[in-house]
Amino acid sequence: MFILLLGCLPATASVRKDTTPLSNSQQAIAFIEKQAEQLSPSNYWPNVNPVIFLQNLRDNVEAPLNIHEGLNTNFCAYAAMSYLPLHFDPLGYVSFMIKLYRDGKALYGKEYFEPSREVRLAAGTLSFKGELDIRPADQLWFLSLADHFKGYLNLFDKHYNAGDENRLWASVNFTKFNRMIRRLFNFSVSAVGSDLFRPGIRDIYEYLHERLRTGTVGLFVNNMDLYKKNHTHLRIGIPTHFIILVDIEEVDDKIAITYWDYGFRTRQLLSEKFLKQLIFGIAHIKVKKADEK
Amino acid sequence: MRNNSLHILCMMGLCSLLFSCVSTRNFSTNYYYLHEKSLTDIEQSYKTLYEQKPFSVGFSDRSFNEISLEIITDSIKLIYEFGIREPRLQDTLNKYGLPASAVTDLINQMRAIRCIWINSLDYYSNNQKRSLVYLSIKPAAFTIPFTIEKYYILTFYSQPQYFDSDGRLLATRRQRKLRKINDDVFHRINDKVCYTVSERFR
Repeated sequence: MFILLLGCLPATASVRKDTTPLSNSQQAIAFIEKQAEQLSPSNYWPNVNPVIFLQNLRDNVEAPLNIHEGLNTNFCAYAAMSYLPLHFDPLGYVSFMIKLYRDGKALYGKEYFEPSREVRLAAGTLSFKGELDIRPADQLWFLSLADHFKGYLNLFDKHYNAGDENRLWASVNFTKFNRMIRRLFNFSVSAVGSDLFRPGIRDIYEYLHERLRTGTVGLFVNNMDLYKKNHTHLRIGIPTHFIILVDIEEVDDKIAITYWDYGFRTRQLLSEKFLKQLIFGIAHIKVKKADEK
Repeated sequence: MRNNSLHILCMMGLCSLLFSCVSTRNFSTNYYYLHEKSLTDIEQSYKTLYEQKPFSVGFSDRSFNEISLEIITDSIKLIYEFGIREPRLQDTLNKYGLPASAVTDLINQMRAIRCIWINSLDYYSNNQKRSLVYLSIKPAAFTIPFTIEKYYILTFYSQPQYFDSDGRLLATRRQRKLRKINDDVFHRINDKVCYTVSERFR
């Protein structure tokens, strides 16, 4: 009996510990307001004004769908995964951001961030990216993530130089996307698909509908197909874009998907064949709860 | 004999490459002036319609028979695909309060000059939000199979812009930095209209 108890205790404790941190937007706003009078300009981030920085964080918490990866950057994966902390743990997100701004280094989940000097100087100066131009906290967040996490696509461009936000330095492969979510926010992620081959799911509607019912769904899609349609003879069949699937429904013989990217929700009616052609990776992201094994 | 065939093949390849380069350059410089009236009409009618209801429209196939219509509401963007003669197009335009006949005219004008996409794009200048009309044209010129096609892009601004001595678009009057739109450098046509040749149409 004693041995049995001993065997059970650590297991129960570890299950309790291994949960996704959760908070709400009121807690995050209260935290931001508390910082508003104390936060002085940071020596680490000379081009990020503290007032605009906090306002940007507040905007993200109040309207999480407005976060924008910027035009023609490779920040789409970082923006897509920002959907998770902004919806499930905004307090964790703002606490990390403010600590990173103040100290130039901070811990988020299992990852210790200490962005390079080049990245710290670049945050707040990115321009010609549309909405991202006026959101210095988002620039700081995306640049820090790209600087910290590396996948095989970043092998040949590991150090930030001006303009690298549009290049391989910032790009994200499917495994890296899932790893970032697990390490930073401690969600349970089950993924199908890859960077080159489609997942081969027979009933894509049923599959996505079921996963959406039980969690958040991130999709790795071929952006050329999503937007370019059929203009050219040469169509490169590789995925380059991350989106968050918000809703899916059957409409007559088509499938209507609602997804989030570029700070906006989009609803689009597609044939099943086209939807299958579009999707290379599906990440099913679930909150880890204490009562779950 | 085999050598001759090889030479002919090489010459043909070289000629087609030269032809494609020359046609692209000429296309860029002459296109605007050849179609100035049509382009200005398209830009003006798009701006007027956009004020009634934000939207963008373009062709999604090579033969200019299918359109992609994006209607932007306060909370969501709706993307529809139609054949240009489908009655559903008129119904959808009416549903969202867009004058169907004016939008159809715009689509026909675009089709006539091979304009594949029109959009209103936000940009920031000195932290002020501004917008431009972004127009993409698919050149009719011959393209080599299996190469990436290029698009002729025109941007229409509400205010006069600043340019360097080479006619390249600058960020502001004081900043001598080149302004990039969609990561492309643009060139002057006149004070308010610029062009570039790009691999991206939007």
